[in-house]
Formats: sequence, C-alpha cells, structure tokens
Amino acid sequence: MIKHHPDQDLLFAHAKGELSLSMAIAISAHCALCEACKTAVAQYTQEAADLAFNQHEIDDTTADNIDISANDISLMQSALPDELQTMLAQILCQPELATAPSNEPILVSVKNQHYSVPSVFRQHLDRPWQQLGKVSRMRFTLNEMNTRASLLHIEALGEIPQHTHKGNELTLLLAGEFSDINGNYVPGDFIMLDGHTKHAPKTLKGCLCYIVLDAPLHFTKGLSKLLNPIGELIY
Amino acid sequence: MENIQSQSYQNRYYKPISSLTKSAMDIDISAPSNSEPQVELLAALMLKVANQRDRAAFGYLFTYFMPKIRAFGLQRLNQQGLAMDLVQETMTSVWTKAHLYNADKGSVATWVFTIMRNQCFDMLRRVQHNKEDAFGDDIWPLCDTVAMNQETQIDHKFTAKLLKHLDDLPLAQRQVVQGIYMQELTQQELADALEVPIGTIKSRLRLGLEKLKSFLETPND
Ligand SMILES: [Zn+2]
Repeated sequence: MIKHHPDQDLLFAHAKGELSLSMAIAISAHCALCEACKTAVAQYTQEAADLAFNQHEIDDTTADNIDISANDISLMQSALPDELQTMLAQILCQPELATAPSNEPILVSVKNQHYSVPSVFRQHLDRPWQQLGKVSRMRFTLNEMNTRASLLHIEALGEIPQHTHKGNELTLLLAGEFSDINGNYVPGDFIMLDGHTKHAPKTLKGCLCYIVLDAPLHFTKGLSKLLNPIGELIY
Repeated sequence: MENIQSQSYQNRYYKPISSLTKSAMDIDISAPSNSEPQVELLAALMLKVANQRDRAAFGYLFTYFMPKIRAFGLQRLNQQGLAMDLVQETMTSVWTKAHLYNADKGSVATWVFTIMRNQCFDMLRRVQHNKEDAFGDDIWPLCDTVAMNQETQIDHKFTAKLLKHLDDLPLAQRQVVQGIYMQELTQQELADALEVPIGTIKSRLRLGLEKLKSFLETPND
C-alpha cells in the first residue's frame, strides 16, 4: 500500500496548473500509480474549472465589469466581431486528429534492469545515464533555475550516504523498494523531506525513483568534503 | 517578456473584444451561467460536434467559451495577444479532439478547462523559458486510457523479467527481441533494417521468446 501522498494543497494547485514542470511531473506520475489521488485531482479539476469559468468577471478589468454571464450560448455567432469570425473559420478548417495520445507506461532500462514508468516521463528519457558505483542518475533538462529533477536508480544492496538537503527534496518511488530510518517504501510513495531531515536510503532489491531537488545536497557524515562532490553527481 | 508577434495580436484584438462584450450585453439573455439545463445543453452540443462534426454546434461552444478562456488567459499570461492565442489554441483542440470527449468522465466545461490549462501551461513555459516544448497533455492526459492498470503492470513486469536474460540469447534473436520490446519497432521495420524477410523476423522472435521463457522456468534463477 502507498502510505505517502502529496498533500491536498499540492493536488489542488496541480489541478489548477499552478505547479512548476518538475512538480507537475511528480504529481502526475504519483496519480498514475495512486487511484485515490487520481480521483482527488479529477474532483479538484472540476472545482478549478468552476472557479476559472464562473468568477472571471471579477478579475477581468478590461471588460469593465460587464456581467459576462450574459454571453449565454444563445448569443448568436453573428454577434462575433470579424476577427473572431475569422478565428472560428480557421478552426473549422482543421481536420479531426486521427490518433489518440497513448498513456501507456513506458519501459526504462538501466544497468540491465527494466522498469515501467508512467507515460508523463515520455519526453524526458533521452538523457544519458551517469553512473557511480551502484547509483545511476539521469538528469532532466527542465530549465527551472536551481531545481534539479532526475531519475535515480540504485542497484540491489546499494545505498546513498547519509545526507541532509538545503532545500526540499522530493522522492517519488517508481519501481522497486527502498527504506530509511522512517520505514519501507513501495512504488507510488511520495516522500517530501525538508532541509532538516537526515536520511540514508538503502535498497535490498534495487529501485528507480524520480527526485526533485531545490538545492544541492550536503552530506552530514564525517567525510563531507569528500562526499559532497558525489552528492552533486548523484542527484 | 513580450514578442513582436503578440504585440501585433494585441493591436488586432484589443478593441474588438471590448466591443464584443458590449454587444453581448445588448443581446442579453437572462439564463444564469451555471444552471443545470445549460450543463446539459453544452453536453448535447459537444456530442453533436464529436459525432457529426456539427459546425453550428461548435460555433455556439466557441461563442460561449471564448470570453471565459480569454479572461483566464489574461489572468495567467497577462497580455491580450497571448490570451487570444490561448483562445485559438484551446478551441482548435476542442474541435480537432472532440472525439476524445467522454461525457461520463465530466462536464464539457471541465473538459475545455483541461485543454485550456494544458495549453496555458505550455504557453507560460514558452514565455518564461523561450521553450517550444509541449508537456501539458503528457502531465494531464486528455483521455483516460488505463492508468497503469494491473494487467499492464503485470505484463510489464513479465516483460522486464524476460528481458533480464536478453544477453543470454544468440545475437540474431537478441536483435529482434530488443527491436520489438525496447525500441518498439514493427516486425516490418526490423525486417527492413536487418535486410531479411519478415518470416525470418517472426521465427527469430518466436525462438527468442521461447528461450527467454525457458530461462524463467529454470530453478535457482
Ligand atoms: Zn496518492
């Protein structure tokens, strides 16, 4: 059972489309693995639609606070100004799209292991894996300032040295298992750690995670100077 | 960040829109925007568009949603030109992807909102990062095919297990299995690439898969 979920605020913000790409990917991937959060996001999307479509008069200053509920559907198209008639005509020239997009999970292979991951990762998997011992990382190019997002693979019996983070660290377990002092995790678990939590994840059977980092890692064990470059490399 | 194209849109659209909202008031209809009958009416119109590509029905939907999308676009994108781009992109998808609308999954308004939000997400990244990427529909899929259902997961797990032993296959079989399961090539594409008849591909695939299965059945794996 998945025990760790994104909190409700995050789900609502996601439904409204207000999260950054790295976080939107994380929530989307969690929802592909978690029926409960998927249902919640569907519900929030409906709320977001109501909010967006029914209160816009308030914020729409250019409309001089005209009551736009007047634009009932029985408003005839002939009332549209020429520019919009043109737009409408252009749209109507477009053919129906033949293909439906596929949400099938995607196979990811690393170190001779094969995993399936949610389709949201579709366009991000063309980066090279960087390997260091039992740990492999594929860093995404999302162009989000300091935020760094990557897939992290740890081979069976691998671990990451104990460390803390300057900013928040999100770990979404996609496949396999790992554990830390707080317990064991299963695919779908969405683990958000703040800058004060120390952890040292280990895996017996190997795992594939999606990681989002705000800030570089800072290892807290004695060899910090030696290990810090590794932290940079790992994530 | 403003670009020249949006500027020209701004000039082109700014006035007509305010005149539209005024003419909307002149025509005035008293139905509240949220009523049940309206929800059903929108659904009926959407079905006409989906099933018959009904242009008049789409015209109504366009007229109804245009000011709402524009207002949302103004809030998020903060520019008339971009807001009108959002209207055009969103309503184009409503028209070209109408057949993906599933009335059992939600209202027309929620569906249009979904398309609009996805499009807006990509436009924002375009404005902020100058990136021509399209991730919105990957993040929030428009149609709900199996969300990693049990069967696919088991199937994938099985495939993954099988593929573990890929290196133990003879090269000819490995190429075919790899091509089909990992590069997602068709049998014909593989036949062309390897310059062998498609029958050869079929038999190599069958032999390869049989061998992989036999590895799974070996004890002490
Ligand atoms: Zn959940």
